[in-house]
Amino acid sequence: MMTGCRAAAEGAKSAEVEVICSFPIRPYTAIMMELAKMVANGELNAEFIHGEGEHAQLSVVLGASAAGARAYTGSSGVGVTYAMEIYSPMAGGRYPAQMSIADRTLDPPGDFGSEHTDAMSTRDQGWLLGWACSPQEVYDNTLMSYRIGEDHRVMLPQMVCQDGYFISHIPDKVTLGETSQVKEFLPPYRPISPLSLTNPVSHGPQIRPDQGAPMDAMRAQTFLAIPKVIEEATADFARIFGRKYDPFVEQYRLADADIAFFIMGAHSNTARAAVDKLRKEGVKAGMARLRWVRPWPTHQLAEALGHVKAVGVVETSTSYGGAMRGGNLIHELRASLYDLDDRPLVTSFMGGLGGETIWPADFDYMAGVLSKMVKEKRTDRYVYWLGM
Amino acid sequence: MSKEDNMAKALPGYGTIDVPKDRVVPFGAVTPAPVGTQKLFQTSNWRVVRPVKDEEKCTRCLQCYLACPDACWVYKEEDDTLEWVGDFCKGCQVCIAQCTVDGALVAAPELDFEGGVVRLEKPF
Amino acid sequence: MPAFDYNFQKLEPIKSFKAVPEAEQYLPGHRTCAGCGPALNYRLVAKAAGKDTIFIGPTGCMYVANASYLCTPYAVSWIHAQITNAGAVASGIEAAFKIAARKGRHTGPFPNIIVMAGDGGSVDIGLQAMSGMMYRNHKVLFICYDNESYANTGIQTSPTTPYGAATTFTPPGKEIPEGKTLFPKNVPQLVIGGHPAVKYVATTTIAHPLDLMNKVRKALSKPGPTFLHILCPCPKGWLFDEKLTPDMAKLAVETGMWSNYEWEDGVYKYTNVPKKYLPVGDYMKPQGRFAHLKPEHIAKMQAFVDEKIKQVQRPIPVAAAVPVKKLA
Repeated sequence: MMTGCRAAAEGAKSAEVEVICSFPIRPYTAIMMELAKMVANGELNAEFIHGEGEHAQLSVVLGASAAGARAYTGSSGVGVTYAMEIYSPMAGGRYPAQMSIADRTLDPPGDFGSEHTDAMSTRDQGWLLGWACSPQEVYDNTLMSYRIGEDHRVMLPQMVCQDGYFISHIPDKVTLGETSQVKEFLPPYRPISPLSLTNPVSHGPQIRPDQGAPMDAMRAQTFLAIPKVIEEATADFARIFGRKYDPFVEQYRLADADIAFFIMGAHSNTARAAVDKLRKEGVKAGMARLRWVRPWPTHQLAEALGHVKAVGVVETSTSYGGAMRGGNLIHELRASLYDLDDRPLVTSFMGGLGGETIWPADFDYMAGVLSKMVKEKRTDRYVYWLGM
Repeated sequence: MSKEDNMAKALPGYGTIDVPKDRVVPFGAVTPAPVGTQKLFQTSNWRVVRPVKDEEKCTRCLQCYLACPDACWVYKEEDDTLEWVGDFCKGCQVCIAQCTVDGALVAAPELDFEGGVVRLEKPF
Repeated sequence: MPAFDYNFQKLEPIKSFKAVPEAEQYLPGHRTCAGCGPALNYRLVAKAAGKDTIFIGPTGCMYVANASYLCTPYAVSWIHAQITNAGAVASGIEAAFKIAARKGRHTGPFPNIIVMAGDGGSVDIGLQAMSGMMYRNHKVLFICYDNESYANTGIQTSPTTPYGAATTFTPPGKEIPEGKTLFPKNVPQLVIGGHPAVKYVATTTIAHPLDLMNKVRKALSKPGPTFLHILCPCPKGWLFDEKLTPDMAKLAVETGMWSNYEWEDGVYKYTNVPKKYLPVGDYMKPQGRFAHLKPEHIAKMQAFVDEKIKQVQRPIPVAAAVPVKKLA
């Protein structure tokens, strides 16, 4: 049994990360506490650097990655946003370091509770962005993300997200990989043109405005290639470790569902139980759980949810003033379903904000709204605030 | 083929992105370091004067050599030669101002020279 | 951690101009202004450091005017950093080479890792990352090339812009006749005063090339973090004739506006101290940025410089090699 934070640290240790940069902020801090012990005890041969803030944390791993080391950092909440300047240079410079996030609400005022807005606010910076729903998946995603991010078809930094407290601090059963399994799955980091004395290079000179568009297009091109790399890595992971994940969208009792919850992260565990209960009561409910926000699995979601009559997006992030005036996920889900001839009705539920629990009863309420939408064949509201 | 597959097939794709070969930017904006000089940035067309050395007066004090921001004075210790290489000289005259011997280094108008640099064919 | 020999470089002092290494590592072919002080500084630093060097170049003139349009003048490896984070990027690079050396992946000399940051990237927006790096004992030389303004954005005031200077953010006007009203930060003392890992800090100017190069070599031969503050006059920002760039630096030393010194293991050593200081007006007169000043402003500057000179002349008693925080 171990917490999500411990699982992340074990993942980093299995990956034999070489440069680690820490800064304390709850709740992700526990990852760094674990790693600090491993380095101090000699279990992990790594440089452990105490960054002077999250901005420095990312800058340190950028430099380390540029110089050819596998680098690891992490953060939570306002720490994630304090580092904002460095996300784009890391992605544009193709530095495949990893950042482990235990989600936390942004200020004001201080709130330790989990909420996805921190990491979601980086979604346009060109990183790989994935969410786990259990300590086991945190460990597994740590290895899978390095493998995908360091693939020469990709070469991008990765964010491995888990909900603060719900996953980061609640122990669950975790099976760690054997050294031989990790070795087979995750080859050493092979930088393409690292800073070197024997083969001098210039990293990041300015470009002309007319070189900007091709640069952006090449980054976009990479994201077209990533899904295949994710599929390969997920399949390889299943073969080597025996744990099978749907590469992009976990589909739970979805095949014949009339209504479905669209969700990511920790609250999906409650959602699964709620689906079972609703099924017992005769409601044909199902769940789709998102594993990657970037790249967004447009077609996979259309396939998974296209036949459902009504989808309720369970949002755990805010997008004030956005098109649906609620969270972030509904915008992209609606866009993904738009071109279907017979598309589902879609609404959203603001839940799990500020660290609140989404209770089984909340799912009953959501199912009620969705069933009513199916019956009336219309979406009444874009967004419902649970409990409000 | 399942119902879902049919629906997915009907969806638009992303197309392909073909960056024209002449517009491809180095991966991650990483370029090889230049060797010798950065030939792509000749700055000789900036100048209107150039430094001219009186070989008889020059004492090899090397003030000019270590005052030039553009490394336009090349000194070879082996044969004690000091030469002006004009491809990158911007005509700032720092070398002339630093020269320790009267008249050893003077500014001469660029147009006094045959082949004096006025403009490169392809300016930046 | 068990002791490990990282094969740090030892660079011998350069005895004479003729003995300066011929090889250039900062190559001609860059669009810095004619007579650029910071460009000359870069060239001298790179020459002294040699080929086994990696530069970190935070945003500033020495990024924008050097690394343009996908071509750069650096013969050695170089990486752009944000103007905010050069110290942190350098820390990561140093750590990567240390672990690579420990794992046997990097053999040969440990690179000279040099941050070449402007005044803003050193002690304004870049202060936090610089301080973090200095505190953590990374083997990096951090250089502040000081042209006393944010120059590539069009000459805006920085914390090292002198009192009375006109910049585009401190234009003199009816209400604020002297332009800049504040006095500059004391850059080397910021480093010396609060970073026990630092054993070597020095100041110099581009008008003292051998002194500059030897301070670079000495700094690079230390096993930990070191700092150089180098005065690099800027013809465009200070508004003087571009052929006078080294002369401006010499005048700064001769008037007491600037002092060349070393601080090594807690001991100060001043060089180029004039027998008699020139009046500060002699330094200000050739510079257009001071052209608007009235005699009372120049007197205020002279009073500020007189205080600085007192510190130079007063022997600074240092008993222990541990830096002691000094009050301004």
